[in-house]
Amino acid sequence: MVKADNPRSSALVAPLSIHKVEGRAQDFSAPARHKSNNSSKSSTAASSTPSQMTPPATPDGSQEEDLMQQAERPPIFHNFLRAFYPFHPTYAVSDTTVTLPLNEGDVVLVHSIHTNGWADGTLLISGARGWLPTNYCEAYDPESLRTLLQALLNFWDLMRSGHRSDAELFGNQEFMRGIIAGVRYLLEKSHCLTRESPLVQSNDGLRRNRKALLSELSALVKAAKRLQEFIVTPTSADDVNDVIDEMILKAFKIVTKGVRFLDILEDDRRKRQPLVNRVMETVVEESSVPPTPPADSTSFEGRQHGDNLSDAASRRTSSHSTASGMSTSTRAAEQPNTPSRQRSPGSHSSATTPERRMSRSGSVVAKRPSVSHRLSMTIPAAQRHNLISERLNVGHDNLLSHLGSFIGRLHLQSQSTADLVVTIRHTVTAGKALLAVVEAVCARDTQSADTLDQARSAMYDRINKLVVAARDVIKSSGLEEDDVVMPQENGRLLMAATGCVKAAGECVAKCKFVLDRIGDFEFEGGLSFDVDPAPYQANHISPGPNGTSVPGAKALAPLDPGNRAPPPPLIIPLYEKPLPEVPVGGSPGEKDVMPRPQPPLESVAEGDDTDETNSSRSSFLPPLPKLHSPLMTHDDYSPTDRTSPQDGEYQASLRSGSIAVSSIGTTSSYLSSVRGSESSMLSQTSTRATTPDVSNHAPKNTRGSLSDSSLSGSHSTIADDLDDGESRMLEKTFAHQLMYNKDGQITGGTLPALVERLTTHDSTPDAMFVSTFYLTFRLFASPIELATALVERFDYVAESPHIAAPVRLRVYNVFKGWLESHWKRLVDLEALSIIESFAKVKLLAVLPHAGRRLLELAGKVSSTDGPLVPRLVSSMGKTNTSMSQYIPADTPLPTPNLSKAQTAALKNWKMGGSSPDITVFDPLELARQLTIKETNIFCAIMPDELLGSEWTKRSGSNAVNVRAMSTLSTDLSNLVADTILHHDDFKKRAVTIKHWIKISQKCLELNNYDSLMAIICTLNSSTIVRLKATWAAVSPRRKDMLKGLQAIVEPDKNYAVLRRRLHDHVPPCLPFVGTYLTDLTFVDAGNPATKQLPGHGDSEGIQVINFDKHTRTAKIIGELQRFQIPYRLTEIPELQEWMQAQIVRVKSSPNQEQVQQFYRKSLLLEPRANFPRPSPIDHTSFGSAGSTGSVSSTGHKEKFDLFGWTHSRERQLSAS
Amino acid sequence: MSSRSSQRRDYHIVVLGAGGVGKSCLTAQFVQNVWIESYDPTIEDSYRKLIEVDGRQCMLEILDTAGTEQFTAMRELYMKTGQGFLLVFSITSQSSLNELSELREQIIRIKDDDNVPIVIVGNKSDLEEDRMVSRAKAFAVSQSWGNAPYYETSARRRANVDEVFIDLCRQIIRKDNSAPQAFDDDISGVYGQGRKDRRSRQSRRRKKDRSCVIL
Repeated sequence: MVKADNPRSSALVAPLSIHKVEGRAQDFSAPARHKSNNSSKSSTAASSTPSQMTPPATPDGSQEEDLMQQAERPPIFHNFLRAFYPFHPTYAVSDTTVTLPLNEGDVVLVHSIHTNGWADGTLLISGARGWLPTNYCEAYDPESLRTLLQALLNFWDLMRSGHRSDAELFGNQEFMRGIIAGVRYLLEKSHCLTRESPLVQSNDGLRRNRKALLSELSALVKAAKRLQEFIVTPTSADDVNDVIDEMILKAFKIVTKGVRFLDILEDDRRKRQPLVNRVMETVVEESSVPPTPPADSTSFEGRQHGDNLSDAASRRTSSHSTASGMSTSTRAAEQPNTPSRQRSPGSHSSATTPERRMSRSGSVVAKRPSVSHRLSMTIPAAQRHNLISERLNVGHDNLLSHLGSFIGRLHLQSQSTADLVVTIRHTVTAGKALLAVVEAVCARDTQSADTLDQARSAMYDRINKLVVAARDVIKSSGLEEDDVVMPQENGRLLMAATGCVKAAGECVAKCKFVLDRIGDFEFEGGLSFDVDPAPYQANHISPGPNGTSVPGAKALAPLDPGNRAPPPPLIIPLYEKPLPEVPVGGSPGEKDVMPRPQPPLESVAEGDDTDETNSSRSSFLPPLPKLHSPLMTHDDYSPTDRTSPQDGEYQASLRSGSIAVSSIGTTSSYLSSVRGSESSMLSQTSTRATTPDVSNHAPKNTRGSLSDSSLSGSHSTIADDLDDGESRMLEKTFAHQLMYNKDGQITGGTLPALVERLTTHDSTPDAMFVSTFYLTFRLFASPIELATALVERFDYVAESPHIAAPVRLRVYNVFKGWLESHWKRLVDLEALSIIESFAKVKLLAVLPHAGRRLLELAGKVSSTDGPLVPRLVSSMGKTNTSMSQYIPADTPLPTPNLSKAQTAALKNWKMGGSSPDITVFDPLELARQLTIKETNIFCAIMPDELLGSEWTKRSGSNAVNVRAMSTLSTDLSNLVADTILHHDDFKKRAVTIKHWIKISQKCLELNNYDSLMAIICTLNSSTIVRLKATWAAVSPRRKDMLKGLQAIVEPDKNYAVLRRRLHDHVPPCLPFVGTYLTDLTFVDAGNPATKQLPGHGDSEGIQVINFDKHTRTAKIIGELQRFQIPYRLTEIPELQEWMQAQIVRVKSSPNQEQVQQFYRKSLLLEPRANFPRPSPIDHTSFGSAGSTGSVSSTGHKEKFDLFGWTHSRERQLSAS
Repeated sequence: MSSRSSQRRDYHIVVLGAGGVGKSCLTAQFVQNVWIESYDPTIEDSYRKLIEVDGRQCMLEILDTAGTEQFTAMRELYMKTGQGFLLVFSITSQSSLNELSELREQIIRIKDDDNVPIVIVGNKSDLEEDRMVSRAKAFAVSQSWGNAPYYETSARRRANVDEVFIDLCRQIIRKDNSAPQAFDDDISGVYGQGRKDRRSRQSRRRKKDRSCVIL
């Protein structure tokens, strides 16, 4: 369903799209889920229960993902996401699961998003493809990168789409242009286009990044060139695919580098700006650059300056709501849906789920230490350890992973209070640790202390809220007979948790900002920190305070006691708030570690750190635990500690269980969908996509988006690569003003962009494009404009010396082709002076030979009419159809079938004798002569005649041949009527009708659809059809034949039958011209002349020529031209002459009168009186006979409409 | 009526008019899905559109002769399939209106029914400054043609486009419904307002029938 909104309806593998039918927004409920699970699980999933299928079990929230998607869905499908939060599933490497680990700042190309919030995406940094949780990510679409991202999409689609031949694709290097243009756009936007730009000069990070970007670009260009060579030297498909894989990875790399470049730039800019200005600016920025709390944090820097906390918080929330859909309102809306979903998994799989939950959080904890170092790569690892920045990161990551896992569980299933308690406790602990670091920073920096302080207390506040929320939840759930947290409570928890995430993000961001200013420093209390994960990891399962039963407390049994070693019964004392203290339990030992002056918070904190003891304060507000104590000692926690060994054990075993389960879930759905799609293309592409060239990448180094250190990966580039990339970059280009469809064909562009495409330096332009351009350019540009654009192209390419030569030659060639074969003297003359002066001055100087030649041509053109080098009429058609369909010239001509008697009759007629009747002649021969007559005109139709509705012009139309075609067709129709009606004897009329039926049958055999149409039109006209007596004398066999013929030319369903026949029809063939004319008219009417290039952020986007329209026009003309191949038939002059005379005779009166005359004649021959018209009463009787159609017409007509009635009958039947 | 309202009906509509009056734009505007960026007239569905008229689903199959006006002999082929007709002229061209009268006669002859659902359309209403056919005049013409409804449209601005097709469709439906019923029921039950016109039309037709017979 999300998929359906994907504007890029490309051939991407959409692993889960089959399920999409299920859910509109409100359907993210259990039933829908189960269905999708069931359908996707297939073979592997035998052991798993449905509820485990969907998401890989990880600390991520599916519900939140839903929310996010929901909010995003209406506007757009985001093609790129950026992780704002690391995601390291422990089972990422499991051989069945394809779950992508994410690092903060990673950019992901999204292929599809499942309704559960998991996205099928490719990690740009590694090229690895797999599932990733969208709630860890935000849409990534910064304005200056948009062109490049778009280009990457096109590139990706193109490289993976199997339906263009490789040769065609790689022969022209078109696919490279978008990427290059994208990089150029990025640099241009950031004023770093040249090496010399002050910005680049001043910022070393920028300079290096720019260099890296360019070197990646040139690497890609090189790879592309290799691909081009492949079409010359035959290569195995594997090799080609290898190169393609490589190229895709390179393209990814370019974008990755671009992202980093942009990050640095942003950083740089922020640093330069005075604090005050930033306030506004960042707010604005936020709309285009998604707020990524951890990484992007600095953007919120000065913003809350002076804001009060709640204000700031709400602002954050609201900004988030647009950016990521985490708004409270959305969440609230989601609430009603959650209950069913959350309950059902629990009921199904109670055995496994809790375990999984637990193990998950365990895994996250374990993973944490590996999270990294953003700010200070330069310092040796050993020291880094204690750096405050490092601390900050670790602490932040820690907290986020807890919150993440917490949020994840909230969505995933119902959870037991015990779990909740544990998670909250961890969260609070982590939060405390982080706050401690922040405080340390605070202490260091007196200047910005209050800003930081505010952020810190905001965070404090948030954590507190979470605790309170959790407490309330536990309390209320305790009252019910259930140890499962009620889903409806989740909303609140979720809000609280997200609030924490945000607040922490901001706080950390500010810290970093401060650190940037005051410099990193060693964290005194450092070492003690390292220890901290351990304690709570060890007991993290501990279900909270137990044992202390308070009056009214309920003993809660574990969810699924049968399945595992029985944990101690969880008893949650109702009025004992286990929660708050959990995290808090200020460990006295720690206190001394942190010298912290903690002004406002302290007081609050003091109030309540004591949950266990202080059990009776039911209404208690969330005074936060003592923040300053970063660690708590175990003993503070709860009695459960003693169970920890046991817990650890089953945790381990369960973890593996959950891995298996979750991986089965995701992969099987993934695989089965891939498998399900039979098309080899899909599987091929997915191979391409998933070939991760991991070894080339060092994710660790490259991941931190904001840090200079991330540059490291790029240093190893070679100098000449750089130059190559650089020079390419500097090419002036309009490539970003082109629009493509997913086949890589151009669908729009500005004139300069189209001209550039016409004169590419590195490839022969696509033949179809060139012929379309020549054919149609006058529809979108005046000859002067074209000439000017070409001259400009010639000029500006001088800025890129290495490509100047080929481009200039192509410019010359375009001029040459125009003058030689496409010159339209009347219209184009105005451009001649421009061309001449160009040839004389500019061209002659650079390419003397070409200059002279062009001058010569210009001279000729001005004096001659018509093309200098007559192009084959079929020049368009030639490009897309095979010429081999020509009838070989040595095919013997069919012998004319004209008897002596017939020849004599014709002679007699010529001498002034009576005209022979048409029935005298052989139908086949007549059909042949008709065909010759028509084909002569048809083949003479020039493409120009078909442009701009030229043929419909009332006067002065240049479409002489098109008009001749329609005239001839009409004349033929009239001739048919005339020959029939001029007999007074109905038998003779019948004979004539039969004869025409035979002739039309022969026309069909000759593939002459145009004549067939003309004849059938008359035979089926009211004038002829009403001749009942006549038709009675026509044999049923002939009538059947006619019916068959009629069906072919039936205009129903847009001439479906005729079109099917003509599709892939082999010439010689004379198609009915009318359909082409209608098509051309409608292409013109139905497609606007210009289209809007998607805007680049600030700008509206420019209007570009809708080249797609012209391509369609050219295609239709090409189709027509495909048949402009003369028949090999023998002309019989006498017969032609006679036919011509007959036509002229019939033509003598104006057409409309003609028709009326025929009708009158028809009435005279078989008067209507024989068929009294039914009165209104008759109507009724007809009607009651069962027809609901237009009775008044059919009722009467049934009596004489031999053919029409069948149709109307059918219509009536289908109608009723 | 209500019993049938749930079913989907297929109706054939034929768009006729001189070349250059903007027929094709009218049809393209009506038929085109605004979400689809480019219009491909060569496929089967390019002239079909599902609309809802008075609560019932109608699939309109539109036959537009645009581009082939000069194939006069083919008109009958087009007309035959139609159940309702849009006669389009341009308000900037008197002759384009004149040409309609021929077309109308031909339709009536072919359908053998002077009560065929027809809507007269004056297109290019956005070109008010170039108007050659006054509204009053066009309306008078439409009145004289069996009270056919008259609309002025602007295909370019998409003004009145849907209305034209819906009106025509409504006429076809009415005709469908009225046919099987007794004459009087038909008038009183279904039409309400249009009753007077209807009766006068009917009587005119009877007169005309007679004259036709004489011919």
